[in-house]
Amino acid sequence: MITLENVSFAYADQGPSVQDVSFRLEKGEFAAILGANGAGKTTTVRLMDGLLKPTSGRVLINDMDTVKSQVSERARKVGFLFQNPDRQICKNTVREEILFGLRTVRGDEGEEALQARTDEVLKDFHFTGDEEPFSLSRGQRQRVALASILAVEPEILILDEPTTGLDYLECCHIMDRIRKMNEEKQVTVIMVCHDMEVVLDYARRALVMAGGRLLADGPVKEIFRNTELMEKASILPPQMIGLGLRLGDGFENADTPEGMAEAVMARRGKGGAGA
Amino acid sequence: MICFKDLSFTYKGEKAPALSEINLTVEDGGFLGIIGPAGAGKTTLARAITGMIPHHYTGDFYGSVAVNGLDTVDTSIDEISRMVGMVFQDVESQIISPLVEDEILYGLENFGVPREEIPQRMAEALQKVGIADLQERSIASLSGGQRQKVAIASIIALKPQVLVLDEPTGELDPRSSRQIFSLLKELNEEQGITVILIEQKIMLLCEFAKQLAVVSGGKIIRQGNTRDVLAHADELQALGVNCPRVTTLSRMLSEKTGAAQPVCINLEEAEKMVRRLIG
Repeated sequence: MITLENVSFAYADQGPSVQDVSFRLEKGEFAAILGANGAGKTTTVRLMDGLLKPTSGRVLINDMDTVKSQVSERARKVGFLFQNPDRQICKNTVREEILFGLRTVRGDEGEEALQARTDEVLKDFHFTGDEEPFSLSRGQRQRVALASILAVEPEILILDEPTTGLDYLECCHIMDRIRKMNEEKQVTVIMVCHDMEVVLDYARRALVMAGGRLLADGPVKEIFRNTELMEKASILPPQMIGLGLRLGDGFENADTPEGMAEAVMARRGKGGAGA
Repeated sequence: MICFKDLSFTYKGEKAPALSEINLTVEDGGFLGIIGPAGAGKTTLARAITGMIPHHYTGDFYGSVAVNGLDTVDTSIDEISRMVGMVFQDVESQIISPLVEDEILYGLENFGVPREEIPQRMAEALQKVGIADLQERSIASLSGGQRQKVAIASIIALKPQVLVLDEPTGELDPRSSRQIFSLLKELNEEQGITVILIEQKIMLLCEFAKQLAVVSGGKIIRQGNTRDVLAHADELQALGVNCPRVTTLSRMLSEKTGAAQPVCINLEEAEKMVRRLIG
């Protein structure tokens, strides 16, 4: 669980980046933060991890105030996947990379346990462990970064544009893995993502930001169907939702090509036109 | 005109070719989108157009690439760069100046643009990309998206005949991405600049590109008018290339109605198709 209470933040010499933002994420939620460049999304997720401290207000990870807690305490609870895996990866083999995170955060468990956990994660992600991260593709490096974060078994996973620079299949690999953690282990997920189709497919809740403020907070599909809100936040809704809104007349309930095709066929069955 | 003839290229020290038997022609005034999975050879294709292959990256080079009829092997990079402007995927490696205006100025001075013309060219390029307010800013103070726009402006200022862009909107939000695509369309339609655009954002690419080339495993799997290529959505998806959801809808409705529906590439077309089907 993460709670933001009236959180504001300003970078040195600049106006406020985040202003009076409040929300709570319960265990097992899958939320996305939406908004244009400069809306305050990245600043918000960095505040949630304690990478940044609020200028005013409080951020609580479970009941722990990020201002009063140690980095090591937070690292045990919260995993942070950056947009660029190269900001994260620092070791020469995938095994070393995964062990590095484990030793830092779960060093008290003893080397044997950490090696065993590493074997488990390598197998799970289909790595041998001997791969050199920097000779892998960007998508594979992003998988290395994700593996080393999930190895620690965080309760909360924060993702800052996790699919940027990835092709479609790589994007699906990463997001499916995250969904699995969310569904099976009740890991709380919050992501910043510019691809609205990905948001629609994976997130259940959406937080909309503009100009550093939280404009709206609700179920993803309801948020996307709020035309006025989408315009205010400079967001184009996913294609099928956009199409449903254009068509109206009951079609606005469809949000996938499958759903839309079925709705069309059902309407034709009721005495619509011919082919 | 850009013309690839049976181009195969293997980077020095590599065993597998990065590109195999590429045959591709981009006419003057064309707008070609290049799409394909990671590691398919898209960036190598761009490097072959700009002459970086074989001039900077050496290796085994077979076949030929011609830019405006000039063989890139026999033409200097300097000469090619006066015809072809390239925006790199890795913006950091492209930007070399500490200030935005210096970055734009650098290219213009290098190209020997007359002094009196420079302020106008700079203002125009910045304004077109929507960053006129950033002219005096330091590059270090800019976000990733803003840097991307600076890189694009610095190339547009040079008024190339051919513009090659390698995933130029990776760091941009949907609105800014659309703005860049619209700018490319404007340059293409109003000034006749040939645009070659490598991009993963399939929805935007299909809406804007007149032609598509699908690259996988160093080969061009399919090329042609965007709509014709999208008619093979099944094949593209098997390669790991996504297609717009309105296109998927066309395909599903063709199957369900038993009558071929048009290949839709945007919301307007999809709306029209559905309204026709429900009468």
